[in-house]
Amino acid sequence: MKRKGFGFYFRIYCKILAQDLKSKMSYRADFIISTIGMICTNIAGFISFWILFRSFPSINGWSYHEMLFLYGFSLVSLTPVQCFFDNNWSLRINVYNGDFIKYCFRPINLFFYYQSEVFDIKGLGQLAFGLGTLIYSWTKIGLALTPLMVLKMILFLLTSSLIMIALQNAAAATCFWIQNSFYVLDLVLKFKDYAKYPITIFSPVFRFIFTFIMPIAFIAYYPSLVILRPDEVPVLSWLSPLIGCVFFWLSYKFWMFGATKYSGTGS
Amino acid sequence: MRLKKYLTLTRAGMIEALQFRLGTVVIVIGNLLYLTVVYFLWKAIYASSGTDVVNGMTFSDTLIYLVLATALFNFMEMYAVWEMGRSIQSGKIVLDLLKPMDYRRLLFWSYSGSFVMNFLTTFLPTFIIVGAVTHGAIPLRLNLLYFAVSVIMAVMINYSIDFFVGTICLFTESIWGINIMKQVVVLLLSGATIPIAFFPEPLKTVVMYMPFQSIYNAPLTLLLDGSPDIEDVLMILGTQLFWCITTTVISKLFWKVSLRQITVNGG
Repeated sequence: MKRKGFGFYFRIYCKILAQDLKSKMSYRADFIISTIGMICTNIAGFISFWILFRSFPSINGWSYHEMLFLYGFSLVSLTPVQCFFDNNWSLRINVYNGDFIKYCFRPINLFFYYQSEVFDIKGLGQLAFGLGTLIYSWTKIGLALTPLMVLKMILFLLTSSLIMIALQNAAAATCFWIQNSFYVLDLVLKFKDYAKYPITIFSPVFRFIFTFIMPIAFIAYYPSLVILRPDEVPVLSWLSPLIGCVFFWLSYKFWMFGATKYSGTGS
Repeated sequence: MRLKKYLTLTRAGMIEALQFRLGTVVIVIGNLLYLTVVYFLWKAIYASSGTDVVNGMTFSDTLIYLVLATALFNFMEMYAVWEMGRSIQSGKIVLDLLKPMDYRRLLFWSYSGSFVMNFLTTFLPTFIIVGAVTHGAIPLRLNLLYFAVSVIMAVMINYSIDFFVGTICLFTESIWGINIMKQVVVLLLSGATIPIAFFPEPLKTVVMYMPFQSIYNAPLTLLLDGSPDIEDVLMILGTQLFWCITTTVISKLFWKVSLRQITVNGG
């Protein structure tokens, strides 16, 4: 079979996206309430952050605005996983009741088709919130605004996103083996809440765990160091784009491996 | 005889909870992860503050408070909003409404089984471990009795709020948005994520006048204070009792009024 090109997939994605948006618009109340819910979550997160750190000039050598930068960075980098990969949350239900088999019969990439089916607009609110926080802290810290910086910023935001996407893919794919993968997904979702703290607050043992075993530190800490502390960037930060790509590729293979093993429910 | 039908539901709930052992393991891992992050985060905060007592709480006070708040959350949270929302969307609620038992009670007692299980598997071990590790930082006197009374009222307030929010789902048909809003509001304003003692002044007063602080802040305050003034205890318990009655009456009335006007799609 001839391999289909990028243009082909892009056209298909736009078509599926349009259909999805149309169907979402028919549940307007749900859409509005969900958006408000998402905004509430972000505001509550911000308030807890503010209550915790407002009275201290610095935590562990990190100033309030640098912490805020990390927080904004994590919010922005989590947007792609929220917007484009939200269908992972329904995977276990689809697998459980047998609906997943329909995706296996399409002549396009299974993973692509499954993920393209849902686009979550709620993520855009988070993006706006995160960008606001990022810009505010950027000006407060007094970072330079050069094209190179912006380029670095985009590259490392993408890196963080890839790592979070990879984690979520892998967590969702566990449902091909265990019945209730909700807990695994929920656990991975919690990672993102911890991504906003600088890893230097942990003891060496946990620094190791959060870097190599549960890669929470890669979601915001290591990538953002390149922007925040350009004088003392560890090797892991420079390696993180590569690590992100490898992680994503591995999670994709893992997901597809589970999917090809899937035999349906017989209905 | 009257109680027997309720206890049957409790038993069924306990058996059901035993089915999801893997889920429990993942929840325990998630909690350990959360507690690790919380431990190091607050350690860093106390280290930066330069004093041992911040806002009237020492480091070990704060830690015990947060650990037990998590344990309390695992034991009280029953996802009643999800359950109600799902039954409304699928139409299953009609079958429950036809049963010869008030729906509000039916739901509560079906969850009571998992209460018992969660109390035995998460709260009690956590409590004992915390007590042992901190060498009696939790005073074991009359405060245990106050705590027990307080927790029972907290469960009822929490359930009433859940049930109230679940009833809103009858009108909106949006589950995710409503639920996420309720969750972040309750967790933040009840002092489950940050002790209320740390809130800045105007916010603190406002929060103390809301029902949410009766869910986590009230029982934990009673537990941590070894030799309290009897006036304070009566004040806290009285406030809880007031909210317990108010929220119960409001949620019952709201359910009654709503039930007259709903339309449910066939199950």
